[in-house]
Amino acid sequence: MTLEPADIPLLEVKNLGLRYLSASSPAPILHDVSFELGRGEILGIIGESGAGKSTLGNAIIGLLAPEFQRTTGTIQFDGKAVGAADDSGSSNVRGRRISAIFQDHTASLDPLMSVGAQLEETILATNETLSRRDARARALELMARVGIPEPDRRYRDYPHQFSGGQRQRVVIAIALAGSPDIIIADEPTSALDATVQKQILGLLRNLVEETHVSIILVTHDMGVISEIADRVLVMRNGRVVEQGVTSTILEAPRNAYTRGLLAAVPRLRISKPVPEKKTGRARTAPSSDCDHKSPTVTAEGVSKAFSPQGLHWRPHQGTIGFALRDVNIQIARGAITGIVGESGSGKTTIGRIVAGLDTAPAGKVTIGDNAFDVSQNGRRTGLLGRVQMIFQDPAVSLNPRMTIAETLRESIRFGAGLAPGEERPDMMAMMDRLGLARSLGDRHPHQLSGGQKQRVAIARALLARPEIVIADEPTSALDVSVQAEIVQLLKESITERNISMIFISHDLALVQDLCSAVYIFRDGRVEDSGPSDFIFSQSRNPYTRSLIDARPHRFTH
Amino acid sequence: MALISVAMGRLSQAFLLLLVMSVIGFIGIHSVGNPVFNVVNIETATPEDIQRATIALGLDQPVWRQYLLFIGNVVTGNFGTSYIYHLPAFGLVMSKLPATLELASIAMLVAAPVGTVLGLLAGRRNGTLLDRTILKTSVFALSIPSFWLSMMLILLGAILTGWFPSGGRGSTASLLGQEWSFLTWNGLWHLTLPALALAIPNIALIARLARSGTIEVESLDFTRFCRAKGLSSRRILFRHTLPNISVPIVTVIGLQFGGMLAFAVVVESIFAWPGIGKLLIDSIQLLDRPVVMATLTFISVAFVALNALVDLFYAVLDPRVRLSA
Repeated sequence: MTLEPADIPLLEVKNLGLRYLSASSPAPILHDVSFELGRGEILGIIGESGAGKSTLGNAIIGLLAPEFQRTTGTIQFDGKAVGAADDSGSSNVRGRRISAIFQDHTASLDPLMSVGAQLEETILATNETLSRRDARARALELMARVGIPEPDRRYRDYPHQFSGGQRQRVVIAIALAGSPDIIIADEPTSALDATVQKQILGLLRNLVEETHVSIILVTHDMGVISEIADRVLVMRNGRVVEQGVTSTILEAPRNAYTRGLLAAVPRLRISKPVPEKKTGRARTAPSSDCDHKSPTVTAEGVSKAFSPQGLHWRPHQGTIGFALRDVNIQIARGAITGIVGESGSGKTTIGRIVAGLDTAPAGKVTIGDNAFDVSQNGRRTGLLGRVQMIFQDPAVSLNPRMTIAETLRESIRFGAGLAPGEERPDMMAMMDRLGLARSLGDRHPHQLSGGQKQRVAIARALLARPEIVIADEPTSALDVSVQAEIVQLLKESITERNISMIFISHDLALVQDLCSAVYIFRDGRVEDSGPSDFIFSQSRNPYTRSLIDARPHRFTH
Repeated sequence: MALISVAMGRLSQAFLLLLVMSVIGFIGIHSVGNPVFNVVNIETATPEDIQRATIALGLDQPVWRQYLLFIGNVVTGNFGTSYIYHLPAFGLVMSKLPATLELASIAMLVAAPVGTVLGLLAGRRNGTLLDRTILKTSVFALSIPSFWLSMMLILLGAILTGWFPSGGRGSTASLLGQEWSFLTWNGLWHLTLPALALAIPNIALIARLARSGTIEVESLDFTRFCRAKGLSSRRILFRHTLPNISVPIVTVIGLQFGGMLAFAVVVESIFAWPGIGKLLIDSIQLLDRPVVMATLTFISVAFVALNALVDLFYAVLDPRVRLSA
């Protein structure tokens, strides 16, 4: 894939060092970073959060806050030096020669301006000689180029009218507007579903081949790197620990940290579909047979329509969408049941309905021996503490004003129902079990790392002595290495206490690793279900197959 | 259609509001005192005179019947006759409207752009000397009482320098059958100080809102993306940041404008500006119930209308409101 190296690299970063000028932490954030980028090359920069990879990207495009100061080294773009901080020199380069794509496609676009206008203004800003009409023609051409169907019709649409994948395509179109030499893509697919991610990566690859643009791909996801990067730069704590050709790094990493990163990636095991005999039982009637013991939670016939919000200036057109359509699930006692689906599939909604945090106009939820009508709120007082939730982002699910000990004590008192003063032994035992130092009890959430916060969230759920834990993407806000630890902890503590768990995730490998049974959700329906082994190796459901195939191949065994 | 149902909902809310307001206003003014003593000459009136006046004003009836009578009259468009001026009450309020409307409008026309631009600049230069100066001045401008501000303006602008008159409307010109000061140079000259007195606190309020909005919006990814795409920072500020911060600003402009129509009493009194606020206070003091009720009704309608305008603006500005499905 790599083109023959030119005499002068397009971009050359030499011994770059950066520090952050702030009263509290003058710590350096980049040390001695050196690399080169050739024309038409995709360079992956990988590392965990805090590794300095985004800072490096911002330094190249000149978008760093003025508090950042370059201490050493140079950035040479096309033979000329570029400033690291936000100065006028780089704004000549910005948009025209180097542009960027950010992770959050929703936040990258101005919500109040039509996508056509945003494209047009970028084209005009990077090319003053064009007339408005030419700019419009070029904008339409770019929209078609990145694969937006019917650009003429979508031109006046606003960002919220596009799906996530299409929004990211618009962002890519804007990044291409100035015909740049380099695109810095900062986690361009992390906010997208697996199948969409695959399409976007394919689009980037095509763009490189057709236009010879170079891409610096900043990511934490080894899968993305393996999919499209020509070369990789592994970063840790502001330093480059290893760099080289992608296949070499992935197959024979020399650095221990790289090896750790690679090992921590959950891998999907796909055995070849076994010939017909084996357990015919599971294959013929998967949905009712996926639990071996009596179910502890069942949801029957749960349906919910999207509730329209806001002012309506036009009458409703077309059909009303369904968040859930006649969903039936059974959660086996003492086991982990996975619910998998892409965003908007209803997987989170069903979890919230089971937990009593959301209502649905139709359906029934049974927890243990109690049956509940799901159409009403506030009906779960009798169940207090029996069902607990672990949310995706511990940074927002913990009360920022309460210390860790206060949060945990609250759970023990109001969940497990212990009297004040009796919480201490429980709390200490749990903190020890989950590897939280006792001294953390006096801290507030913002003083903890992401992994520590999620441990606290798990401790809070378990301390209420629940029968059922619903974990909604509990690891997707965490770095891979931390993710592996948290998954292990969840697994152990659930089995130790004989708790039933619903594990909601978009990550197939994680679900396969953890869950004994799986439900695959799509557009508010249960698309496929069955024992985990069956689903991942033998399911004939085309949607299930497409989800499995969307995984980067290097990480499926 | 959805739009009609929204409008109907709005209207029924407005009627409910008017009803509640009229009950509160009616009971309130009833419990302040008996207006008869402001109508007859207390020193010379005989008990018979007072009795006759009471019957003439309908004050001998129980209060609920007086209220029903009032509502009945209002439905037919009649707010009654002022006890004091012996003029139709609603006409009296309307005759004060031009003075109030032009004062409030000019104050807001000054305050909204000045406040927004100051806020945008302060937010953009977050933490600099300019930002800190704007922030501190705005705290000061918001916390000084309006009577003191008005008197300082008179002291500086009228007494010490003699640049502006200290009160009155000055000469007016006729437009649409009403007299307006802003149409003559002399009238504008008279408008300056009271409009400033009303505008200064609003400048401060709007600047603070615009500043915090700017800081928030400019920390979002899309403004960073705008810089990455090579837009100039001026274009980002006015074309992207400004629309995105304008919802709270317009809300506050609507509320404050309504407030100025109704409750600019202090400023109107100090500058002897014959507006609605001054009329309301005078009428309450004189227990001139028809005028009080007419004024309160006008104010309620004005607030409802302003809020509807603000909502309409949201829909014009934000496609997510306009096209929500």
